[in-house]
Amino acid sequence: MRNILIIDDEDDIREVAALSLEATAGWDIQTACSGAAGILAAANPKSRPSAILMDVMMPGMDGPTTFRKMQQDPLTAGIPVLLLTAKVQGVDQRRFADLGVAGVLFKPFDPMTLASQISQALGWKD
Amino acid sequence: MSEIEDQTAALLAALWVKNRPLIEERLAALDAAAATDGALGEDARQQAESAAHKLAGSLGMYGYDDGTRIARLLEQLLESSTPEPERLRRLTAELRATIFPDS
Repeated sequence: MRNILIIDDEDDIREVAALSLEATAGWDIQTACSGAAGILAAANPKSRPSAILMDVMMPGMDGPTTFRKMQQDPLTAGIPVLLLTAKVQGVDQRRFADLGVAGVLFKPFDPMTLASQISQALGWKD
Repeated sequence: MSEIEDQTAALLAALWVKNRPLIEERLAALDAAAATDGALGEDARQQAESAAHKLAGSLGMYGYDDGTRIARLLEQLLESSTPEPERLRRLTAELRATIFPDS
């Protein structure tokens, strides 16, 4: 069973993404409303996520900073991270891709196809 | 549409209703910026830009693709420290009419 951790400070994005992935793919979902809370959730060995879907622009610790911190911790370094951004300019996309994340997805996402976008980005066949 | 898609669409519709106050709050930040008629302070500009960014990233999830398009134009406009007042008013009114045509 896939277990996805969604990290986003916007309540409605978390709700719609969680609903989408639960309803269309049957995946287990955890959510966190900040980078700091996301790091704690990801590092919990009892609920280690299969992948993380994380917003780029968050107050406090943004997505790229949170990703770098996760990369420094052996408990979280191996978890694939997909960044979620509403920035559509190519320069932003290249900057995010250069961080070493598993992929970049764009807001607004289509709730009907979000799970397949994640699977495709991560090379998941099931 | 499959049964799963039907169920997902129904749940999304319910979330749209639940989250309407959040959408209204973001529109209100844009209304406030548009009402300043060129005397937009930096704090209000930043709040409006943030509201436009969040609307651009969320409206399309609910099927309001035109709303996302207009919100992106507003976000770009509000990146300027001196956004053109008339364009700000027009786009804000257009966005509200697109999302809530009956209001």
